[in-house]
Amino acid sequence: MSRFEIYSPEGLRVDGRRWNELRSFNCSINTHPNAADGSSYLEQGNNKIITLVTGPQEPASRSQVNTKQASLSVTINLTKFAKMERSKSSHKNERRTLEWQTSLVRTFEKNLMLHLYPRTSIDVQVHVLQLDGGILGAMLNGITLALIDAGIAMYDFVSGVSVGLYDTTPLLDLNSLEENAMSSVTIGTVGKSEKLSLLLVEDKVPLDRLESVMAIGIAGTHRIRDLMDKELRKHGKTRVENLTN
Amino acid sequence: MASVQQLRRKRISDGLTVTQKVFVRSRNGGAQKVVREHYLRKDIPCLSRICDVCPNVIVPNAVGELPKFVLAASPQELEGLSAGKRHYVVVDANIILQSIDLLENPHCFFDVIVPQIVLDEVRNKSYPIYTRIRALCRDSEDDVKRFIVFHNEFSEYTFVDRTVQESINDRNDRAIRRTVEWYAGHLKAKEISVVFVTNDRLNRQEALKSGLVAKSLSEYVDMLPNSEEIRDLIPNLAPSSGMSNKMLQDDPEGAGASSGGKIAEFCFPEYYSTSRIMGGMKNGSLYQGSIQISEYNFLEGTVSLPNFKKPVLVLGQKNLNRSFNGDLVVVELLPQAEWKAPSTVTIDSEHFNVNDNPDNDGEDDDGELSGVASGSATIMSDKDRRLLAQSAIQAQQSNKVQPTARVVGITRRSWRQYVGQITPTSVDPQSSGTQNVFVILMDKCLPKIRIRTRLAKQLLNKRIVISVDCWPENYRYPLGHFVRDLGEIESAQAETEALLLEHDVEYRPFSKKVLDCLPSEGHNWKAPVDITDAEEISKDPLLTNRKDFRDKLICSIDPPGCVDIDDALHAKQLPNGNWEVGVHIADVTHFVKPGTALDSEGASRGTSVYLVDKRIDMLPMLLGTDLCSLKPYVDRFAFSVIWELDNNAHIVAVDFTKSVIRSREAFSYEKAQNRIDDETATDELTQGMRALLQLSKKLKQKRLDAGALNLASPEVKVHMDSETSDPNEVEIKKLLDTNSLVEEFMLLANISVARKIYDAFPQTAMLRRHAPPPSTNFELLNEMLQVKKGMSISLESSKALADSLDRCEDPNDPYLNTLVRIMSTRCMMAAQYFHAGAFSYVDFRHYGLAVDIYTHFTSPIRRYCDVVAHRQLAGAIGYEALDLSHRDKQKMEMICRNINKRHRNAQFAGRASIEYYVGQVMRNNESTETGYVIKVFNNGIAVLVPKFGVEGLIRLENLTENPQNAEFVEDKFSLRFVDMNGQSREVGVFDKVEVQLKSVLDPATSKRKAQLLLK
Repeated sequence: MSRFEIYSPEGLRVDGRRWNELRSFNCSINTHPNAADGSSYLEQGNNKIITLVTGPQEPASRSQVNTKQASLSVTINLTKFAKMERSKSSHKNERRTLEWQTSLVRTFEKNLMLHLYPRTSIDVQVHVLQLDGGILGAMLNGITLALIDAGIAMYDFVSGVSVGLYDTTPLLDLNSLEENAMSSVTIGTVGKSEKLSLLLVEDKVPLDRLESVMAIGIAGTHRIRDLMDKELRKHGKTRVENLTN
Repeated sequence: MASVQQLRRKRISDGLTVTQKVFVRSRNGGAQKVVREHYLRKDIPCLSRICDVCPNVIVPNAVGELPKFVLAASPQELEGLSAGKRHYVVVDANIILQSIDLLENPHCFFDVIVPQIVLDEVRNKSYPIYTRIRALCRDSEDDVKRFIVFHNEFSEYTFVDRTVQESINDRNDRAIRRTVEWYAGHLKAKEISVVFVTNDRLNRQEALKSGLVAKSLSEYVDMLPNSEEIRDLIPNLAPSSGMSNKMLQDDPEGAGASSGGKIAEFCFPEYYSTSRIMGGMKNGSLYQGSIQISEYNFLEGTVSLPNFKKPVLVLGQKNLNRSFNGDLVVVELLPQAEWKAPSTVTIDSEHFNVNDNPDNDGEDDDGELSGVASGSATIMSDKDRRLLAQSAIQAQQSNKVQPTARVVGITRRSWRQYVGQITPTSVDPQSSGTQNVFVILMDKCLPKIRIRTRLAKQLLNKRIVISVDCWPENYRYPLGHFVRDLGEIESAQAETEALLLEHDVEYRPFSKKVLDCLPSEGHNWKAPVDITDAEEISKDPLLTNRKDFRDKLICSIDPPGCVDIDDALHAKQLPNGNWEVGVHIADVTHFVKPGTALDSEGASRGTSVYLVDKRIDMLPMLLGTDLCSLKPYVDRFAFSVIWELDNNAHIVAVDFTKSVIRSREAFSYEKAQNRIDDETATDELTQGMRALLQLSKKLKQKRLDAGALNLASPEVKVHMDSETSDPNEVEIKKLLDTNSLVEEFMLLANISVARKIYDAFPQTAMLRRHAPPPSTNFELLNEMLQVKKGMSISLESSKALADSLDRCEDPNDPYLNTLVRIMSTRCMMAAQYFHAGAFSYVDFRHYGLAVDIYTHFTSPIRRYCDVVAHRQLAGAIGYEALDLSHRDKQKMEMICRNINKRHRNAQFAGRASIEYYVGQVMRNNESTETGYVIKVFNNGIAVLVPKFGVEGLIRLENLTENPQNAEFVEDKFSLRFVDMNGQSREVGVFDKVEVQLKSVLDPATSKRKAQLLLK
C-alpha cells in the first residue's frame, strides 16, 4: 500500500501537479566553456544533469575511425549521491546505464548530420547530479542542448519526457515516487513534429491506452522544445550582444 | 525526523509555485535526507455552492470533467455561534479515526471539509477508515451528506512551512488551523461560519487564540438541535489512562463518572514497547500470528505460527491480554512447566461473570482462570526463550501437551462493528441518566463490551450495533459506544439485519451511480432480432462475433422458484453419432463492463447471499432476474461452451462463443425428472434431456473413478408458510438425478474454461483450487474412529480417502457413514479462488473434484469470480480485449482475496439464517429426535440432530444431578455419569442418542437456541 494518494480523486498528483503539467524546467547552455566544446546544465524537476560534448575530434584510437561518418559515444555518469540514499557502486557498468547509453546513441545517430564529420568522434558525457524520475527524457534534453552548444549540425531539437498511466489517466512527466507506482513510457520527439525517435516502454501498458499516453507525451515534449528554444535564443542574444560590445 | 530549512518558493507560471519539501528520516539506523518537489497552486476551489470566486478558477481533469461544487449554499444552522449560524465543519484526523461512525450518521455532520493533511494522516493510520471517508466524499452528491477534501497542502493560500523547532505534528495542526482560517475568511461575506472540531485541547486553544471557532466533539454535538440522540454515539474513550489519550482529558463528563478516583485493582499486563517487540521478533524470542479464539471456550485461543507444526495455545484472560478473535498479535512462549493440553471444558462469555457490575472494574474474583498468568513473573533471557522454542517444537511432535504462550503486543486489531444486546442485569431501571452497561455480542468468541448510554432502558431487548473504541489495561472489559438500533430481538427483520452485519454483508440498496450503469431501456431491453442487421451492429460492433443459437433446443433446469437463471443446456446428436452438448451461461459481462460503478459494486459484494427468507443480490435485480437471466421463450445473450462428446462422454472438441439463445423451457429439477421419466414424451427436447442425463452419469462415474469425493453436510431447507411467511417445516434437501445432470455439465464447463483461460493468461487466469487436507486435521477423527469403531480413514490420495469413506459402514447404523462424511467435511481445507500466478501448476489441483485445474464460470449472476472468468474467456477467444485490471497480478490478488472473504461470509450468513429459522420452527414444535454425539468434553457432549441439522451442547449439569461424580474417559472419548433416573450411563462419540429438542431463549443473551436434553 502506497503511503500516498498517487492521483487523488480531485485530480491532484502526489506533488501537487495536475495530470498534464510538466515539472519546473530550467536550462542553460555553455556552462562549462573551458571544459568542453559544448555543455549544458538542465533541471527538470529535481533531476539535475550536466552534459558535456567534446568533438568533432580525432578519435582516440585508429580502430574507431569511421570513414563514412562521425562516431558518436555517450557515457552516463550516475553519481553516487544522485539518489536519496548514497549508493556504494558507481552504476557505471550497470545494465540499466548501458541500455540508456545505447538508446541515446541510437536516437542521436538519426538526428545528427554525422556524415558531415567523417573520421571524427563526438563524445557525450552526462553527469547526473540528482535523480528524480524520468531521467532518460531529461538526458535527451540535456544532450540536445549541449550538442547545439557544440555547434554540431542536427536536423531538429530532440526533446524527451516520460508519461505514466495511472489506472486510466495518463500522467505527464513522472517523478520518482510516481515512477515506482505505475508503468511508464519515455518518449523522444523530433522538433515540433509527431515523429518519435525514441519510445521506451519498460513495463506493460495496455495497447488501447497507449494512444492517449503518447498524445500527452508528445504535447509535453513540444512544450519542452519551446522552453529550450526560448533559452537558446536568450543565450544567443546575450552572446551576440557581448560580441558587438 | 528533525531538520528544518526555510525554503524558497519559485513562481514558475501563473498560479503555480514550486517549493521543496525537505525532511530527514531515519532508516536502518542511518539518516536519510529526503527532498521532494512540492507545487503550490491557486486553482484549488473551496467547493462551496455559494462561492462566486472559485468557479472561475477551476480546471477540468483528464477526461474533461470539472470539479463538482458540493457544500450546501445554506448549510445547517448551529445554535450558539456568535457570527453566522450556518456552518461548515472542519475535522481533524483523530475525530475521523475515532468517530467515523458518527461522521457517517445521516443525522449530523452534513457539510464537512476534510483537509488533505488530515486525510493523509488517516490513510497512514488506518486504510479501512480512509476508504470509508473517501466513500463519503465520493457519494456526497446525493445531498444528504456533503463531504469534500480540500487539498490544503497544494493551495498557495493555505500551505505552511515548518518553522525551526516545530514538530511535524505541530506543523500539521497549524496547517489545519490555517485551512480553517482561510475558509472562514473566504466565506465570511456569505455569512457561513467554519467550525473546527478537534478533541486536542492545545490545538483548540491555539485556534481560539487566532479567532477561529473551535469545539471538541462533545461540545459540538451539544450544540446540535438533535444532540439528545447523537450524544450516545460519541466514542467512549478511556479517560486518562496510561495510553496517549490526550483527547477528552478536559471533558468533565467523560472523565467524571467512571474513573472517579478509584484505582482499579484489576490490571492486564502492559504490552511491550514497539522496539522490544521488533527486537524480539528479530532474535526469535517473540512470534507474530493471528489469534483464533476457540468457539467452545472464549478464554482459550490458538495462534498459528509458521515455525510450529501445531498452533500455540493461549489460555486464560490475562494471557490473552485483551486480544480479540482475529487480531494480529505478538506472543511470547511461557515456561515449559506451564504447557498444557487444550482444555476440554466449555466456557462462553455469556455465562461467565454474569454478575459483574459494569460500573466497577475492581475486584479480581476469578483466581483459577487468571492463575496461569502468574508465570509472567519468571524472568527469562532471550537465549532461554530460543531454547524453549526448540523444545516447544519437539513437544508438539511427541505428545498432547502443547506449548502455551501469552500475548505481549497487538499489531493489528480486527475491530469492526459488532451486533449484540444489552444484558438486562447490568441496567439499573431506576436511573434515567447515563449509565454503563454491558453488551453481549452475537459472536461468542468475543468478550462483552462496556458502553455508556442514556438510552439503556429503551435499548433493552433490542439488537444493537456497537463499535469498540479501546481496551485500556485497567479495564476488565473493552469500552465501546452505541451505534445503531436494529429492532426488537426475535423480530425477523432485526435478526436478518443483525446476521448480515455480523457477516459483513453489504445489504444496502444499490446506489444511484450503480443503477445508472444499467441499460436505459430497463425491462424493455431486447436482444436484437437479427444479429446481422447493420443498424444493430452499428450500435454494438461486437455483435458480429456472436453466434445465433436460437434454433437450438435449449432448456434450463433449476430449483423450483428460481428467478436468476444462470445456465441452460442443450444436446443434439451429430451425424457421426457423437453428441453436440452446449452449456449456455448468462452473458453478464455484456452488461457489466469493467471499470464502471456497477462492476466495482459487484466486485466488492463478490457474491449473492442466500438467506432463508431473503436474497441479497450481487447485481441489481434488473440484470439478475431479467436481462441476464436465461428465461424461457425470450431471446437472451449467452456465453456458450459447445462440446462434441462421444458416447462415452469423452471430449472430442470444445468451442467457446458468445451467442444469442432462446430457452424453450425452464424446468424445476422435479419437472425435468418427470419429463425424462415420462415415456410418452418423445419430442426432441426430451430426447436431448435424456441424452444429457446418460452422458452426465458417465461423466460422474469417470469423476468418481478419478477419486472425486462425495462429502456430506447436514443441509436442510426451511419451508415458509406462504401466507404468514412464518417458518413451519424443516426438510432435508433431496437430490434427484437431474440435480447431478446439471452439476456434471457445469463442472465440465468450468474445467474446460479453466484450461482455456489458463492457456491464454498463464499469470492472471482466475482459478479455484482445493488443497489436500493436512493429515493433522484428521488425527482426532481417525483416533475416534479407531477407538470406537475400529475403522480408519486413509489420506494418501483423494481416491483413497473416497474409498475409505465408503468403507466406514456400520450395519447397525446406516447413518454412521453420513456422519463420518459430515465430520470429514469439517476436517477439509476450504477451496479458494486464486490467480494462476499465485501457485505453480501442480498446486492448482482441486482435491475434492479430483481435477488438475478448475474455475467458476457458470454462475456470473451471483458470483464475481465467474464474471472475471467470463471476461478472461472473452479475451482468450478474441471477442474483446481483456481489461487491464484482470491482466494485473496485484489487482487480481486483491480481487481474489475479497471474493474468498465474501464467499466465506456468505456461507456463514446463509447457515446462520437457517439456524435462526430452525430455532423458530422448533419453538412451535417440541419433539424427541435421534441425535449423534460428535464431540465429548469433560463437562458436556456435543450432539448433532440430522433431522434439523442442528448441533447443540448438552452440559453436564443437564445430564446428571451430581456433576462431581461424572467421569471423563479421555482415551475412549466418552463420559460416564449417573443420569437423572439414577442409572449409570456412558456416552461416547458416534453414539446414537435420543434427545429432547426444544427451543429456549437464553435469559442472559436473549438468543434463541436449540436446547437438547438427553432422554
